[in-house]
Amino acid sequence: MLIIEPSFIVREGVKTLFSQMGLAYRVDEVETLRDNLPRLIEKFNPQLLLVNQEQLFRQWAGNRSSAGFSGLIIAGICYGEMASHHGAHVDFSLNIHSPKPVIMQQMQEMLQKSGLAGTANESESISERETEVLRFVALGLTNNEISEKLYISVHTVMTHRKNITRKLGIKTVSGLTVYAILNKIVEAGELKGSSRE
Amino acid sequence: MLIHQDMKMAEVIHLNHHLLHVINRFGIQLGYGEKTVSQLCQAHDIPLSFFLEIVNTFHDPSYFPIENMLQFKASLLINYLHQTHRYYLDFRIPEIANYIKRLSDDKAFSEDIKGLLQHFFNQYTSELTTHINKEEQRVYPYVLELERFLSSEHSDQALIQRLKAYSIHEYEEDHDDVEAKLFDLKNILIKYIPEPTDSRILNLILHELFELERDLNNHAHIEDLILVPIVDKMEQAFHARTVSS
Ligand SMILES: [Fe+2]
Ligand SMILES: [Fe+2]
Repeated sequence: MLIIEPSFIVREGVKTLFSQMGLAYRVDEVETLRDNLPRLIEKFNPQLLLVNQEQLFRQWAGNRSSAGFSGLIIAGICYGEMASHHGAHVDFSLNIHSPKPVIMQQMQEMLQKSGLAGTANESESISERETEVLRFVALGLTNNEISEKLYISVHTVMTHRKNITRKLGIKTVSGLTVYAILNKIVEAGELKGSSRE
Repeated sequence: MLIHQDMKMAEVIHLNHHLLHVINRFGIQLGYGEKTVSQLCQAHDIPLSFFLEIVNTFHDPSYFPIENMLQFKASLLINYLHQTHRYYLDFRIPEIANYIKRLSDDKAFSEDIKGLLQHFFNQYTSELTTHINKEEQRVYPYVLELERFLSSEHSDQALIQRLKAYSIHEYEEDHDDVEAKLFDLKNILIKYIPEPTDSRILNLILHELFELERDLNNHAHIEDLILVPIVDKMEQAFHARTVSS
């Protein structure tokens, strides 16, 4: 989960309410949208994004699906009623003046829709395809090389890699390599030489 | 609760013992007696407000008073950051390396796994060392020289040319990579190693890694959010002065 909101007191409030529902996931916080949104998404790779709605509309004119994060659930944090056309880019609008039961209900829905609540355990193991990609990553192949080997686009390779990192909680190539060896996806002997990062 | 100048230093430690190492970096050692924060700072010739801001940002990561901290002299920050580097390289990293060595006598793991962990940790250490060396050898000396230039009247042409040749913006913020490896190492130990017959040494290693991570995050924050903007302002002053001369 990533929270982008300039007000400290609002960020703390959002976190506190989420924690009352059993907070068992990582929360990253950013004060402003000074950096561009796609970069922040890439860096933190959240499943759920809560972002100050006014900043979102002011700073970011991009298109969700073309920006490559159509799978992400976005909730706007707004300080009052929002004009309805503003709601187009977000899945939820969280009005900070709403009463607690309304906010809690919305948060529950966000957690479910983004996959943060409920079925977390089953979805965390990596798929067969992801295992294949992971194997090539561990062997030191580039995204281009992997795309050729598996007859899939580079974009798809990158999506697989993002999902692998999210599911395993491992970000670096050398970390993934260690994981692959521990799980016998590759053998240490295959890695000799240049493949180590 | 924030730490304030009239608290006894002993109370500060009771409130948050993670601050022990941070306080050492200012040259203040144990045996505080009944002395307060402000008394100890005075005795050690440390600017009180600087001490308080550093200690409080460490104590409460959500307290990060950028505005207050932009007032400080770059050399003051660099001195603190330098002490922090020494602490990582001379103390914390060797400490973890020792634990990892102790693992090698431990029958709870296979040789392969020990080798993998050792290798991964060595990679991490060399990345961290490279990062720190770059700052110590290139970035910090540049900032200190810039500060000396701005605080004096002289206009040594060679020095001006040297300062013009570099900018703090060349100092790419590559803290992400160093952070990512540490993050991975923690998860590998917590989630993915085959169940050992005894976890005690691993627990100690994990404890050290969490401490190191907390410290490094604070350090990187100070560099990115405080030091860089301060130097940015200094560079503007430098260019204003050298253009008119
Ligand atoms: Fe540093
Ligand atoms: Fe650094």
